[in-house]
Amino acid sequence: MSGHIRKRKHLLNLRQLGRIMGWLLIIEAGFLLIPTLTAAFYHESDWLPFAATTVLTGLTGLLLSRYIRPQSHHMGKRDGFLLTASVWVVFSFFGLIPFLFCTHNLGYTDAFFEAMSGFTTTGASAIKEPSAMSHGIHMWRAMMQWIGGMGIILFTLAVIPMLNHSGGIQMFNAEVTGITHDKIRPRINQTAKQLWLIYISLTIILILLLWLGPMSFFESVCHAFGTISTGGYSTDTAGITAWDSSVYVKLVVIVFMFFGGVNFSLVYRALRGDFAALRRNDVLKTYLCIIGVATALFIVAIIAGGSGRNWMQYSIDPLFQVVSTLTSTGYVVAGFSSWGAFVLGIALVMMFFGACAGSTSGGAKIDRIIFLFKNIRNEVERTIFPNSIRSVSINGRVANSELVTKVIAFLCLYVLIIIAGGIVIAAMGVPLGEAFFSAFSCISNTGFSTEVRGWGGGFDLLPDAAKWVLALLMLIGRLEIFTVLVLFTPAFWRR
Amino acid sequence: MRIVIAGAGEVGSHLARLLSTEEQDITLVDANSERLATLDANYNLMTVVGDPTSFEALREAGVADCDIFIAVMPYEANNIVACAIAKNLGATTTVSRIDSYDFMAEENIDLVRRMGVDRLIYPEYLAAKDIIRALRHTWARNIFELHDGRIILAGIKVRQGAPVVGMKLRDFGFANRNFNVVAIKRNHETIIPRGDDTMDQGDILYFTTTREHIDDLLRLTGKVQRTVKKVLITGGTNMAVRLVNMGEDEFKFKIIERDIEVCRRLPALCPGCEIIHGDARDTELLEELGCGDMDAFVALSDSSETNILTCLTAKEMGVKKTVANVENIQFISQAEGLNIGTVVNKKLIASSTIFQLMLDADCSTSKFLALADAEVAELEARPGSRIVRAAVKDLHLPRELNLGALIRGDEGMLITGNTTIQPGDHVLIFCLAGSLHKVEKLFN
Repeated sequence: MSGHIRKRKHLLNLRQLGRIMGWLLIIEAGFLLIPTLTAAFYHESDWLPFAATTVLTGLTGLLLSRYIRPQSHHMGKRDGFLLTASVWVVFSFFGLIPFLFCTHNLGYTDAFFEAMSGFTTTGASAIKEPSAMSHGIHMWRAMMQWIGGMGIILFTLAVIPMLNHSGGIQMFNAEVTGITHDKIRPRINQTAKQLWLIYISLTIILILLLWLGPMSFFESVCHAFGTISTGGYSTDTAGITAWDSSVYVKLVVIVFMFFGGVNFSLVYRALRGDFAALRRNDVLKTYLCIIGVATALFIVAIIAGGSGRNWMQYSIDPLFQVVSTLTSTGYVVAGFSSWGAFVLGIALVMMFFGACAGSTSGGAKIDRIIFLFKNIRNEVERTIFPNSIRSVSINGRVANSELVTKVIAFLCLYVLIIIAGGIVIAAMGVPLGEAFFSAFSCISNTGFSTEVRGWGGGFDLLPDAAKWVLALLMLIGRLEIFTVLVLFTPAFWRR
Repeated sequence: MRIVIAGAGEVGSHLARLLSTEEQDITLVDANSERLATLDANYNLMTVVGDPTSFEALREAGVADCDIFIAVMPYEANNIVACAIAKNLGATTTVSRIDSYDFMAEENIDLVRRMGVDRLIYPEYLAAKDIIRALRHTWARNIFELHDGRIILAGIKVRQGAPVVGMKLRDFGFANRNFNVVAIKRNHETIIPRGDDTMDQGDILYFTTTREHIDDLLRLTGKVQRTVKKVLITGGTNMAVRLVNMGEDEFKFKIIERDIEVCRRLPALCPGCEIIHGDARDTELLEELGCGDMDAFVALSDSSETNILTCLTAKEMGVKKTVANVENIQFISQAEGLNIGTVVNKKLIASSTIFQLMLDADCSTSKFLALADAEVAELEARPGSRIVRAAVKDLHLPRELNLGALIRGDEGMLITGNTTIQPGDHVLIFCLAGSLHKVEKLFN
């Protein structure tokens, strides 16, 4: 706090941003070390590109953080937005390097698509044969999702004490999903630490549980990362269907995909014994409700369509598919594409909804959908009782009309971007249905490939330009539109 | 330290912002969610929406394990209730803002404590104390006395022609061993000076010295001590009433108040003081009252702008000492630039009290003063703390703070680079805003 009116010379504090970017890259280098060691452990030639990337990333980070000396440490809203949005892009650019030089290497476009898809936990893959890839690559794909699931910035806030000031708050607000951002502790680094602690604990429990089943330790780790982050990468070309016969794997994955879709601050409260918060929470109730109703509808459709072959396809499979879709994980059970258009239609609605805000899932988030429906109800009732005053309340709190407007604007924008994305991709020669489906799948971070529509191919068949557009959509979806779009407005770059 | 603040009004928000930059764990409770939203989005603190006098909201804010609970809502009754609840839920120390002297009276203090209120902030009372100090020392902008004036810290504005103007600090130090310049306020900014900084005209220089050298200080800065007797106050606010009650033996007050209803109430509140119904912005009225013959002009109305402008008018009419109540912190340095003698601000006073309380938990502080962008504190050096380990010049102190003087036993002395602070010394520290936690570490 300073007692005088401060003059700001520059719109953006670029030096400070550069320095923080340096710290972030050092952290990425730390994460890259894990696939390097994995590849070395399995005696794979891929350890070399990984080691080189680690060194390159770490060195860039060191140079940036050591040699950029900011005059002021002040960070405003603009700095927060720019940094958060660019971190995801920069991370993807460094993260794609191993894909370029590994065995069965990818092209530049595919590698970027793969990295962005990983960090945003979309789980859409441009790799034709994941099974053929090395352990190192699998580990890196899983790691990317795991970091991106909870958030790059959130991790940084937890480990770098220098960001524990209002600049950190700006970055936190730009990254964390949801309408309002719950802090669970007074200081931002404590909040970040607690959230990551919960995330890490859930991950470890999941790894152990999966390891108890038919998966090897390596597969357990990769799938645990892909499940809790609601990402959806698998080590197998067939995806999770490789374990189709194991009820145990499916059940465990269902439970943890569900956790991935729950607001983590709610988990924190529940762990601290505040069960009243759980009971009060409309979003959680709606989340459970949607899962129940959608599963029932799926089962009815499967019975009506007669496509089920064994008891699992009438019970666990629909539940698995519902949770996987709603939490934007994007794991697909065998037979999903044969369940018919009705099921696919419901799946589309669930992709739009997403799970709870403050979770690792994508989509528009149930919180906003509740706002939307309550507001619609109010508007309809107001046509009959024009003088009645009605409010939109969520979790026992009345939301002010500004917030409602903001949510409605978000949802409109969300739909507009899907339409725009679909049209752009269709213009590149992709059939209209597939174009829209891909755009939708990417912005909601679900990562269903068009195979589930029965097109017979995944993202690897799309033209290169379409992959860049889809990567942008993934980022827009992960950072919930405004953080990215605001960078493209003239007002952002002008005083 | 975990601090819960009830009430996001002006004082509450200011405290929350300030303490969050001091790396404290702040939770702010208020019933108005819109007021909290901006603070929540921009500062490193947590907010809880709810009535601060309800058990539910206070539990949610975590008062049960907080170190300090501060109630700064507009009504004292609410503050007392909030403190009572917080204390009984488990808060270690509770602080309540009050606006009547009742709670501070000797015979009631025990009762108040039993109600669960440990400390009281009475901004009007503290402001009145500050104003009286300013009226006694007309030559200083801010003055801070330690141990009955054995050590003095004074902020003095130096003008063209004063002997110190143009001197380098290093040369000044060689020539005058009895003074330390701990800070310079220049162009709305406070700087901790080094040896090669120069003292310019228009600077507010913060000197530390001992009592016996005050006369030399006045001579060096080209100031004279004036005795104030006749004081004109504008605005019959609570602060004015408190000032009149506390200073009536020493000064002769006149109050101008615009509202006739308030004027009617005033004689009962401050007996023996002359009350005038009129607008202080009316220059003719001021002339009629003999404003030019007054020794001091104290503007205490609710509007900062009116206070600043009427002070300027009074200054033009020939009043030597002016004091203005400025509510907006951003305006303080503007007001100082406009040559208003002393500025009082309720928020700064409240934060002084809270800072004192925070430091009290670790070391025994006897005094604390918050300036617009800096703080002055008196702290006791503890055995084993970092500050006593070596001579001051070898301690590698942060650049944001400066040690001015110390009291050892009963004797005041200045601190130089060669001084080694001993356990039990009371040290006067000047530090820039946001660095108090560093001071805390040094002394802990």
